[in-house]
Amino acid sequence: MKIKYLLLLLPLLFNSCIEIIDDLTVHSDGSGTFKYSINLSSSKLKVNSILALDSLNGRKVPELSQIEAKILEFRTNLAKEPGINLVKTEFNSTDFILKVQIDFSSVAQLQDGVKSVLQVMSKEKDKESFEGDWISWDGKTLNRIIPTILANKAKSFENSDVDLLKNGTYTSISRFDKPISKTSNPSCKLNPTKTASMLQVNTYDLKLNNSLIENTITLTP
Amino acid sequence: MKQYISVLFLLIAYVHFGQKSEFIIPKEAVTVFSINNVDVLKKIGVDELIKYDFMDEIHQELFDGSTDNKSLKDAGIDFDQRLNIFYGKNQYFELSGFTFGIKNEKALFSVFDDFDPLPTEIPGAKAYGSFFNNLVIKSNNALLVRVEPIESSVLEITDSIWFSRGNMSPYYNGFEIDTELSDDELMKQDLEYDLREKNYNELRDSIQFVLQNQYLNSVLNGLFKNGESLYSMYPRFQEVLLHPVAGVFYMDNERNFDRAKNLWYLKSVLPTLYLDIQELYEGNVIVGDLVLKDKAIDFNISAAYSEPLGSIYMEMNDSKFDKRISKYIKQDQSAFFTYNINLKKAYEKAYEVVLPILGKEKNVELSMNVLLLKLANEFINKDALFDTYKGTMFGTFNGIKKVKTRKIEFFYNEDTFEYGERETDAEEDMPIFTLGFTTARPDVPELILDHLSNVTSKFEKKGNYWIYKQAIFDAAPVYMINTDGLFIFTNDEDLALNHWEGYGKEGLNSKTLKSIKNSGSLCGYADLKSVANQFPIDFLLPEQQPLMESLRGKSGNMVMRSGKTTVNKTELSLSYSFETNEDSGKHLLDMLNTLYLITK
Repeated sequence: MKIKYLLLLLPLLFNSCIEIIDDLTVHSDGSGTFKYSINLSSSKLKVNSILALDSLNGRKVPELSQIEAKILEFRTNLAKEPGINLVKTEFNSTDFILKVQIDFSSVAQLQDGVKSVLQVMSKEKDKESFEGDWISWDGKTLNRIIPTILANKAKSFENSDVDLLKNGTYTSISRFDKPISKTSNPSCKLNPTKTASMLQVNTYDLKLNNSLIENTITLTP
Repeated sequence: MKQYISVLFLLIAYVHFGQKSEFIIPKEAVTVFSINNVDVLKKIGVDELIKYDFMDEIHQELFDGSTDNKSLKDAGIDFDQRLNIFYGKNQYFELSGFTFGIKNEKALFSVFDDFDPLPTEIPGAKAYGSFFNNLVIKSNNALLVRVEPIESSVLEITDSIWFSRGNMSPYYNGFEIDTELSDDELMKQDLEYDLREKNYNELRDSIQFVLQNQYLNSVLNGLFKNGESLYSMYPRFQEVLLHPVAGVFYMDNERNFDRAKNLWYLKSVLPTLYLDIQELYEGNVIVGDLVLKDKAIDFNISAAYSEPLGSIYMEMNDSKFDKRISKYIKQDQSAFFTYNINLKKAYEKAYEVVLPILGKEKNVELSMNVLLLKLANEFINKDALFDTYKGTMFGTFNGIKKVKTRKIEFFYNEDTFEYGERETDAEEDMPIFTLGFTTARPDVPELILDHLSNVTSKFEKKGNYWIYKQAIFDAAPVYMINTDGLFIFTNDEDLALNHWEGYGKEGLNSKTLKSIKNSGSLCGYADLKSVANQFPIDFLLPEQQPLMESLRGKSGNMVMRSGKTTVNKTELSLSYSFETNEDSGKHLLDMLNTLYLITK
């Protein structure tokens, strides 16, 4: 996985106080915007100390410039994928906040594009890790699950610092043009106009149970 | 003469009537821990024992339940014999394992039940295997050994074969090109693909397997067929086994590959110089005695070396301790060290010993470097240089402090779930250190700091100290105190602001100071409970982390002192005292594990 530098950040994510937000907007015509933010600013001392190392758990620790180069590679490759209209990335290397915004023509093309780029940049040539739908949309129902590759990766991390991990949050937001009629995940909350849902879970709980942010959202006809 | 005869007699008696497990340690072992009195371990549970890092080879036994609630006695181990843990590394492979005596073979295999019998050509021996481990039993002595080829060597051979077959780089990304092929073309490509041809990883694994067997056979043949063991080939190892103590340590630094590999360039490019340098390390063997006491374990180390190297060490240790550092170390400090050397004398001696060796070489590049060294020696103001660092150094661990940092926090609008960012206060743990040294030229560091403060506003003089803002990971400041012949770096705000002249009465008392003065060049103290349990492990290098993990949960003190340095050897002692009522054998293993991690 040439995107190994990005994935190298993942152990940090699961060993630090972290905030992750995924924010998906799906319009009635299937187009939309996906935003993904990772915030490690409350652990910047720790992240800085890790970045100062040559290697961690037998893997090379990348330099900031290498991380930035891989983010750029991800952005460039994804922008070439069919149905991907715009890709924006922003990496704040002082506070360690990564933001990605992707405008897409259809949810299927968003998934295919991300899968394709990750697979090309990934060391994981095992196609099974990329199989199955991570997200699907049929015009009235949205299904979301954690991708197998990320679930497996998360399970393989050892937690030496559970306390910090327990302070982390993962927030999953879905927005629509029409009101939501029902959601499958009981922890999911809706905004007053019912056009947006929010699911917020603890990162440590999520590591133990990937299904915590699984959700099927059905819109009113 | 009488002394030699009695040693000889002891040796003969030992060989004929003594313990034998140490006779089957491979000659490739460089480091050995030999527990003399295995009896002290009788009450230790097997599952407890094999959790230690030095028992890494058989960790898998932990997970099948066979070791549950079994003591070492239940495992059929012979307590009249030594338990010898060994480690070695050369240019081609790394080997680790241990040897021990067996009283009851059936009991042994009821606990270590992962081992399956293997055919062997070793006369009178039985062989067993489990994963990468090999167990050879001969005359009630057992050798458990793991031989692993050095990864870089395996990859070198793999690359050579891989590319000679006309393959592209294994990291070549064919995927991108494949995506441009049509389904028919892809199908054709699949049909043409020879399934018998190994991919890069399969080839590497095969080479590793073949090399592993080859190296293992070479180790076992040398040991059992040619009778070449560490014991038979190295008299210094034989001698150390005669020490009447609970355990002994042996490290042959002359054969230490990690040191030798640094000389690899010399060996290939300047072989005569290599031989001269190698002579410096001749006889560089470090041995140690583990002495079991009531609520304490002492580890007395003696490092032997050649006379030229010894002459440098002697000059280095000929230094007067500067007691001014004592006011910056609290009497109840959780950990500190002092280091006292005469760098000027050591430099002059090293110049005298090493330069003639380098000067003999006819190599042009080396000869020019020797000339540069000679000119530097003439032109550089050595007095100014060695007066700036006068020779007495200290370091302290001052605990953990919450450091204020800023973090970005996301906040949400409950009506729209839109989110924004705001900056808030955060706190993170930071270990607090102080490091200082004596100087007779306080004007030199002052000159440097003054210059830096003109270059960047991050350096600023604040009355009695300098501050380097956000020096540590862009978050915490470092303070520098230049006073009374001492130059001190610290991230301890309290020291810089309130105790820049020292801790006064809270500083080291005269008794401790006297003990440090008598310690020679090095003295260290650590309260294990407060250091190991407080220290944030993320601040350590990955290879140092297991050491700190192994110390966690321990209580007691660790004191290290260097002793007498002569032209042939230097002495060092490490004392571990504990307060708990835990079995002393357990503490012995804890200490042994710590030493194993340090020396591996």
